[in-house]
Amino acid sequence: MRFGFRVSSLALISAVAFLALGAAGVQAQARTTLNVYVDADTNITDWLSGTVAPAFEAANPQYKVNMVIARGGITMDDVINRTIAALKSKADPQVDVIEGLDPSDFTKASLDAKLWVTFSKQNIPNYGTLNPAVNILPYGLPYRGSQVLIAYDSTRVPQNEVPKTFPQLIAWVKAHPGQFVYCRPDKGGSGGNFVIRAIYEANGRNPSAFTADNYSDSLAGTRLPPAWKILSDINPAIFQNGSYPAGNLPTLQLLANGSVSMITAWSDMALQALGNGTLPSTIKLTQLTDLPFPGGYVYTAIPVNATHMAGALAFANYYISLKNEASVVKDIGGFPTIKLSLLPQELQDVLSAALTDKAPPIWPSGSWSDALNAGWYKYVATNAQ
Amino acid sequence: MPTTAQIPASPGSRRLISALGGYGMVLPAFLLMVAIIAYPAVLSIIQTLTTGVDGRATGFTLAQYLFFFHDRLSMTNLLYTLRVGFIVLAVLLVVCFPIALYLRFSHSKLTSAVYILALFPLFVPTINLSFAMIRFTTTHGLLDTLLSRAGLVHYVTPYLRTSGTIIGLVWEGIPFTVLILNAARVQVDDSLLESARDVGASIPQVFLRILLPLIKNAVIIILALQFLGILGSYTIPYLLGPAEPEMIGVFMERTYDQVHAPLQAQTQAVISFFIAAIAGILYVRTVASQQRRTEGR
Repeated sequence: MRFGFRVSSLALISAVAFLALGAAGVQAQARTTLNVYVDADTNITDWLSGTVAPAFEAANPQYKVNMVIARGGITMDDVINRTIAALKSKADPQVDVIEGLDPSDFTKASLDAKLWVTFSKQNIPNYGTLNPAVNILPYGLPYRGSQVLIAYDSTRVPQNEVPKTFPQLIAWVKAHPGQFVYCRPDKGGSGGNFVIRAIYEANGRNPSAFTADNYSDSLAGTRLPPAWKILSDINPAIFQNGSYPAGNLPTLQLLANGSVSMITAWSDMALQALGNGTLPSTIKLTQLTDLPFPGGYVYTAIPVNATHMAGALAFANYYISLKNEASVVKDIGGFPTIKLSLLPQELQDVLSAALTDKAPPIWPSGSWSDALNAGWYKYVATNAQ
Repeated sequence: MPTTAQIPASPGSRRLISALGGYGMVLPAFLLMVAIIAYPAVLSIIQTLTTGVDGRATGFTLAQYLFFFHDRLSMTNLLYTLRVGFIVLAVLLVVCFPIALYLRFSHSKLTSAVYILALFPLFVPTINLSFAMIRFTTTHGLLDTLLSRAGLVHYVTPYLRTSGTIIGLVWEGIPFTVLILNAARVQVDDSLLESARDVGASIPQVFLRILLPLIKNAVIIILALQFLGILGSYTIPYLLGPAEPEMIGVFMERTYDQVHAPLQAQTQAVISFFIAAIAGILYVRTVASQQRRTEGR
């Protein structure tokens, strides 16, 4: 009966936890409470509740932020569908701000229902400070970005050897066997976007050739194999004769402990690691100048039926304010979305090497990613013995 | 079997009540098994047998299985999993028998320390173990540094190699193996071993001629259960092993989650299920025969 007992004790624990969470949710509401829905990892939700919310409330004492994490049980899709339903039935959606969206979250259903507020200087005073190089969506306010970069050990890679283009990177890898590594493409975006960059390279550096709706097996059959050729050619020159770590973090560790001299890394993880000393200050970041590694921006949106429209707009405006954008760089290692010249000099210095004015290309995911994840294991990793 | 407290009732109705009580106690677990394991598993098996490679539903077909057995990557991964499994089992026995023997024959203060150390991995979550292993065994890690201080500079890290997976799985498997071996040798009458020693048998002889035959069933149980654990292992091969070939658990997750080919993943699951069933049958038969023997005594 051990199994039965375990199950019942588990049920008891979850019931207690559920009650506790429910009790925490019901609290005195003296000020106007803004319901901010967010779908993000804990580093972002911690930052939102620990840094952004208190600073926003201090600047706007009439509001109180209630952060709702839409992950796991309820997903952002559920929240958006519920808000559409409330719009149609003219009910209170109990939603003010929806945070942490990517372009694919602005679904056709939500656009057809005219769910989103269009942003402009009229409703967001800080709108004009946004960097025009950033992919700004009419309904989505980009507030932070991240992209994949090259991170290298400046004590072992002389300045004149630092690759500036993808062919230079490949040449460097071949010339320095065992000194470069990227993670398995499906286990971490730092490796995945390196592989995507190789696919772009093999297809005329033209990201627009890959869209969400142009995937077909035959197209993948002609476009991906040249990339597998590039990658399997460098396979023997990868760390330990083609040993690929299983994630972004283990890859950073190999650079940090000196096992390799160069990796691909997420900008936010690398900046954060440099900030807290996990990566030594001799590690430098750089971006390719021919075509950057892919990345993306994270968007905030407001439904037209937001319960507290004025408060929602105030929150969105604060979100892209200089103060919050500086915090994006300092506290979560994100890329700012406002014009760089507005940032304090010290932050500009941190970012200067890594930032490009070119917007990072955006990979369509979906079936293209499935084909990438299947093909890499089949044609690149199998060479490793 | 000790007799239970006396209940004032006729032997017949007492037997009925105890039988019903027994079934009643088993019922919730049984229903749970049926609802969350057996029923979806059967549905899944049926689906793999009625879907073509293009993902369209058809009549009965073996297309998914033919794909698996003709796909080089799938077969490589399956055979790799079996190979790693057998190596880990062999290493486990080689490592754990001496520990069990030591625990049996030594009476020093160190014995209990060794025992606790052998059981220690039981209390370490696998994810912690994996990252600790990475830090310990990676290039420029602790082990590498210590060896190079000692003048050994040709260290080859097991990290991201098959040997990494094997080391991790062996470390994880030691406590259970030692526990069962220890429990089994407790059942062996001390006088048997001591009389053999008295007439001059060496420890290897005592082990091979007396102890091993007596604890044969325990060894089979260990092999069967550890094999099931290895077949289902995920975190260790994922973090410590190579990208390719993959253990079947890692391969299955990737096929399902990253390649978004649920039917291929289901087919892999059914095939692993049948391999696991072989170990399962071995286990059940051993336990049943042991029970029959104890009851017969």
